[in-house]
Amino acid sequence: MKDVGDVNYWYVDHEVRKLREEKGVEILESSEAYKEYAWVRKYFHKKPKEGYFFWIKKSMKNPLISCISISSKNLEQNLQNLIVIEKGVRVKLRGTCNVLASNLCSRHIAGGTIVLRKNATVEYLHVHSWGSKDHVESQYEFLLEKNAKLKYLYNLSSSPKNMKMRTTIKCFDGANADVKISISSNNCSVNLQDEIELLGKGSSGMISIRVVARNNSSVRALSSVTAEEEGKGHLDCRGLLLDNSSSIELIPKLSDRNKKAILTHEASIGRISEEELNYLRARGISKKKAIELIISGFLKT
Amino acid sequence: MGKILSIKDLSVRVARKRILENINLEIDEGEVFALIGPNGCGKTTLAYSIMGIPTIKVEKGKIIFQGKDITRLSVEKRARLGIALAFQNPPPLEGILLKYLLQLIGKKKVEFDLVSHLLEREVNVGFSGGEKKISELIQIISMKPKLAILDEIDSGLDIKKLEKVIRLIERELIQQGSSVILITHRPDILRKLKPQRVGVMLDGKIICISLEWKKVWKSIKRWGYEGCRRCKLLVRRS
Repeated sequence: MKDVGDVNYWYVDHEVRKLREEKGVEILESSEAYKEYAWVRKYFHKKPKEGYFFWIKKSMKNPLISCISISSKNLEQNLQNLIVIEKGVRVKLRGTCNVLASNLCSRHIAGGTIVLRKNATVEYLHVHSWGSKDHVESQYEFLLEKNAKLKYLYNLSSSPKNMKMRTTIKCFDGANADVKISISSNNCSVNLQDEIELLGKGSSGMISIRVVARNNSSVRALSSVTAEEEGKGHLDCRGLLLDNSSSIELIPKLSDRNKKAILTHEASIGRISEEELNYLRARGISKKKAIELIISGFLKT
Repeated sequence: MGKILSIKDLSVRVARKRILENINLEIDEGEVFALIGPNGCGKTTLAYSIMGIPTIKVEKGKIIFQGKDITRLSVEKRARLGIALAFQNPPPLEGILLKYLLQLIGKKKVEFDLVSHLLEREVNVGFSGGEKKISELIQIISMKPKLAILDEIDSGLDIKKLEKVIRLIERELIQQGSSVILITHRPDILRKLKPQRVGVMLDGKIICISLEWKKVWKSIKRWGYEGCRRCKLLVRRS
């Protein structure tokens, strides 16, 4: 990482390189938090060995930034993270997970829980950037208590060799989750599973997935919304397949167990429009650059 | 005055169907040339052929731009040489802001008054017909073209917007020395921009080129485009 000036927590391989606390925020390693606070233990399946604990007690103007990096060859990380955002707190989180060199053949396994207490508002931008030989597994659960609001943006900017990602969002009374997942895969196998559970009255959630697959990529994305209580859920899954060596499988799933709930979905897989491509080329933009523009535009929608 | 564009005996097809046949046309440097004709006669196909849109397949003939044979040149290279096309039906570009596209393609700063409300929007996404036309024109102007092809730039515009568009074409294209091919169905834009010549297209052929657009228009009004086939008043020059 070139500039770590604003980073609050920087973890490289198995070592904390930087830890900068802010007013109203407690940052610990997960193992320390597990030892120090009995109440956090219920959020860990077992005693964590590595990972971070952010306890955000006050609203923050600037984003809280974390960065998990791998710099050594054949290294395996196994992180258990916990973020707790207290009642009524508004915060922006920026999380990056990356490799500091290519061809490291590393394994990044990360999981954990993000708890949004009553009325908390969180905007979380999560970026992954990997090398072509890395392996990634991630499994996170978001718990949104009464009237909490989550805006979660996940962006895979550079794909690993293979990746499994599971995201579960539990929305209690009046909570709202707006999830956007952008995957740009290149010679990569991706298995995504994301789910919003509407567990409280008046809860709502939307998952937007944008997948681009090229160069021997295979992407499977199972997105689901389950309504246990009266609420609203929507899935918007779209794929862009760039060549015949790749494949995209989008599976939107709606499960309704409450007659007052409204669940909807839309899904489509397409290719780059010749018309759009020619239009941009007629503006003097090269074919390659025009394709990149269309892809980045697609991932932003 | 030199020729900026010479089209020689050009025949093209689109999806196996011949659309243009034996087109011969020369455009002078700085000339405003109007191209008129009924819907589906091949005006847009001719515009696409000059621009080099890949869906157009040239069967025979040549397109010469500033003395260089561009018949086989890619669309982006033609754009870089100075040919710009304002599309009749531009496609929506999701996720690409007009502001960003203008930064990317612009060779010169353009007065953004007309499009200031569109700059932060995705190109052509949810634009009205008029907004699309204005966005097209601003893009073309920003490219500082030597030859601007304006394909029905006046359609879908209200009177005030049309006046603004005409002023922009005059000030930013014609007065800057650009040649203009103006494809239109409306006489009001011709009245203001006063083309030096007008060409009439029918069934994929330019059947008439005249120095007097007013006479041509009067005749079309009276006899329809079919009347052009037997018209003896018009001056042929192609």
